Amino acid sequence: MKMRKVKYIYWAGVLMLTLFAVQPASAQKTTDKNSPASIELLKAKSLWFNTTNGAGLTLDKMYNFSSVDFTYQLKSGDFKKLQDGDKERLLGVSTEGGQKLGTGYAWGKFSFNNEMQRNTQFNTTMLDPARGMPFYPVDPNISDWKKQDYRLEMKVASQPLWDRVILGIQGEYFASTGAKQVDPRSETYFYTINIKPALVALFNDHALGVNFVYENLVQESGTTNSNSQINHNVYVMKGLGNYYPSVVGGLQSLGRFVYNGNKVGAAIQYSYGFSDMKFLLEGKYDYGVEDVISTPTKPKKEGSVVRELMDAKLTAVKNGFNVSRLELSYSNRSIDGIEHVQVLDNTYEVQQWVDLYSSIRAIYKQEDISARFDFFRGADHDYKWKAGLFTNYRSNDDDYIMPHSRMIIKNMYFGADAKANLSLGGETKLLAGAGFTYKNNFDGSYHYRGADPGSIIITQFMTPDFQFLKQSYYKIGGELSLYSGLGKMSRAGFYLKASLDYYKPIEGDNSRVQTNFGLGFIF
Amino acid sequence: MKNRYKILLIAVLAMFSAVSCQQFSDVSKIGEVESLSAVVSVTLNLGSAPIPDKLNVKMINYSERYEVNTTMNPNGTVTIPNIIPGIYTITVTSEKSQDGFTYNYSGNVVNVDIVTNNKQITVNVGASKSGALVFKEVYYCGSRTPTGGSYFRDQFYEIYNNSETVQNVRNLAIAIIAPLTATPNKPVWPATEDPSLFVYALQIWSVPNDKDYPLNPGESIIIAQMADDHKKSNLNPSSPVNLLSAEFETLVNTTSLIQDNPAINMVMSFWPSPTPQWLTTVFGGAFVIYYPNEPINPANFVTPVGLTTRHYRIPIEDVVDALELVGNATQVQLKRMPAVLDAGAATVGGTYLSVSVARKVKETVGGGRAILFDTNNSSEDFEVMNPPVIRRYGAVAPSWNTWK
Repeated sequence: MKMRKVKYIYWAGVLMLTLFAVQPASAQKTTDKNSPASIELLKAKSLWFNTTNGAGLTLDKMYNFSSVDFTYQLKSGDFKKLQDGDKERLLGVSTEGGQKLGTGYAWGKFSFNNEMQRNTQFNTTMLDPARGMPFYPVDPNISDWKKQDYRLEMKVASQPLWDRVILGIQGEYFASTGAKQVDPRSETYFYTINIKPALVALFNDHALGVNFVYENLVQESGTTNSNSQINHNVYVMKGLGNYYPSVVGGLQSLGRFVYNGNKVGAAIQYSYGFSDMKFLLEGKYDYGVEDVISTPTKPKKEGSVVRELMDAKLTAVKNGFNVSRLELSYSNRSIDGIEHVQVLDNTYEVQQWVDLYSSIRAIYKQEDISARFDFFRGADHDYKWKAGLFTNYRSNDDDYIMPHSRMIIKNMYFGADAKANLSLGGETKLLAGAGFTYKNNFDGSYHYRGADPGSIIITQFMTPDFQFLKQSYYKIGGELSLYSGLGKMSRAGFYLKASLDYYKPIEGDNSRVQTNFGLGFIF
Repeated sequence: MKNRYKILLIAVLAMFSAVSCQQFSDVSKIGEVESLSAVVSVTLNLGSAPIPDKLNVKMINYSERYEVNTTMNPNGTVTIPNIIPGIYTITVTSEKSQDGFTYNYSGNVVNVDIVTNNKQITVNVGASKSGALVFKEVYYCGSRTPTGGSYFRDQFYEIYNNSETVQNVRNLAIAIIAPLTATPNKPVWPATEDPSLFVYALQIWSVPNDKDYPLNPGESIIIAQMADDHKKSNLNPSSPVNLLSAEFETLVNTTSLIQDNPAINMVMSFWPSPTPQWLTTVFGGAFVIYYPNEPINPANFVTPVGLTTRHYRIPIEDVVDALELVGNATQVQLKRMPAVLDAGAATVGGTYLSVSVARKVKETVGGGRAILFDTNNSSEDFEVMNPPVIRRYGAVAPSWNTWK
């Protein structure tokens, strides 16, 4: 009950911030109309906005803005993981706003998505099977999924206190629910709440920031059959294709799975500005543990994971008539999959599972090195055109220690994108963009040495997904965004947006298309 | 009011911190898994049986589906390396032919935790001559109707004379023992007598004690839940079996679907809450056949501690053969049957699959008579058969079955 009350307070706070932020601004030139391009540029220039330190917002000197966006997204095509839908439809609405509070700043965002996935496979209970949790049941039945989620985010920074210190806080609440539509069907609830208190100390042109992170996560999944006459085999995954068989239905039906996780972390930031140059260096470390139990009334540990994340990022921005932005980052993620040996203490008065032995059975490592450069031409409030280049090296090395199995995938991404902000006369502008990404796989191997290499889990699930992950592909995309102001004296405007991305592997005939349609109001 | 919220917020954060600290502390000392070794020795309780030449040792971790096999000298020990830490069933078996008899040697220990290096495990190994009457084939999982429904009236149990001598099945009883399905939640039995000397029946049916029912070597009897042609249109045209030739059926009472067939009606010896048919669990029950050493009196029931469900106590020494069936391979670790009766378990791995488990053929002797495996380990002795067939491997119906 207390927890629910805190959630209500948190919700109310973020909604207030969001609504507060959509009030008309006062400190901005009335001729400066906010548009998708201007908000994109604003965020690109704002070094602290893109960190986990909410206190730094004050240093970004962002102007007031707010927007309401409606999105309709469609995905289709067979170039996908089995757990993705053949077709996916997402309907989303979000509102976002930033507001000066004296010399401080507040930002908030609320988003809601409703999603339908058609013909997914090998995912019985997970709303996001790629969230770094190896312990979950799967089944081979092709099924639809219905999901919806909402996310509340906020950042608040105080004004500088004694010209030396800025206090801030950042928070996020994410709740999601979903249901699998074919037996064995499931209903899953998931939420995370995190809070990041922060502080920035000022030393002339130097600023040193620190923030802490606390996050709590809960997921609950229950499985059932609509047709109680037919039981369904499921496979409880443990990592890299290892599993134990179970069944949904009947007297020995799979129990409810409950996930409970906590994460702590910290980040430090250093920024320096001179002339029209600014740069920011950020280092982050997060440590989290998540336990999975089944049958909460007689809890049995299905496994635990320990997650460590180290992240370093350097961002530099050169302002002026044009804006140049460079971002270099490195991240290293490690997940330990822990399994437990348990026996049931069958004493009549006790009847509980007792831990005898726990060990790390699998280690999943992911390393990313990325660089991105963007150039904004004619960048005052808006930009005339922009061009960007980016590259990303990603290495995944997953190791199931005993019996030894291993999956290695190394990919390199290259890409370029550009947008032109064309004036169509009056208050109307057309933002036209195009992008190209090429993913080059230069290493990939999967060796399974577990108990059952002939099982459908290996032949129909793990191996096809591995083949997908190691495929090289290219993506081409384009977008058009038509913006129009609402009156000469108003900063408000609205836009219509359409974009399309086309994914095509270098080998094979499959492909995937993602289409977005959007409508938004910007104040 | 503001202070109340602050206090509330701080309290919640403190609670989360405390929970996360405990969670972090729990995993802080957990290291990477390392393989272990175990040392296995045996204690031989062979009676008059000869000492076997060597013993086969099998260690199975059912939850990992991981198995290690080796051999050992009956008078020595064996060190087994490369073991994944976990819960194991260790089975020691052998076989020896001497003086015209075949001796089976078996012993096992179940649910042994091997989580420390060089764990010492001792297995008591006993010897027995191969049993005369054995479960030959059991079809328990049921079938699907043409419309996808569940059909479970076509279950049958085939009992075979695997010996060289004539056996009499008069008053032979078949019982399903508790708990009904494989589960970690075992009933706790009152300790008025050593509970390990008994198995506890939920239901018992007996061959009538009205006359002799001789069974020659190589002959078998079929005990059907309902000895009808299950392929009939009003039953299940998709059923794999016609059981009209079964020797016995477990008739409770007739209904629009259940009729009194030519098969001899078994005697319901113990069933506290009967239903219209003797449906045993399609997830796999645990069965014994035995000759009661005294008339079965339903009033002499026992109840588990804390429960009121009635059970009937069967001395292990009376059991002729036993067969443990489970829902899937992982559930072997949830065995109900004492290891001395059945060291393993058989399974078809699902429900309503129209498949059965049948004992494997060890050899075929003169006249084409099959000698079936009987090592008291159903994991080894049985295999899944599709479709179920009564009297496979040339088994013969007894001469007194005139309706076959």
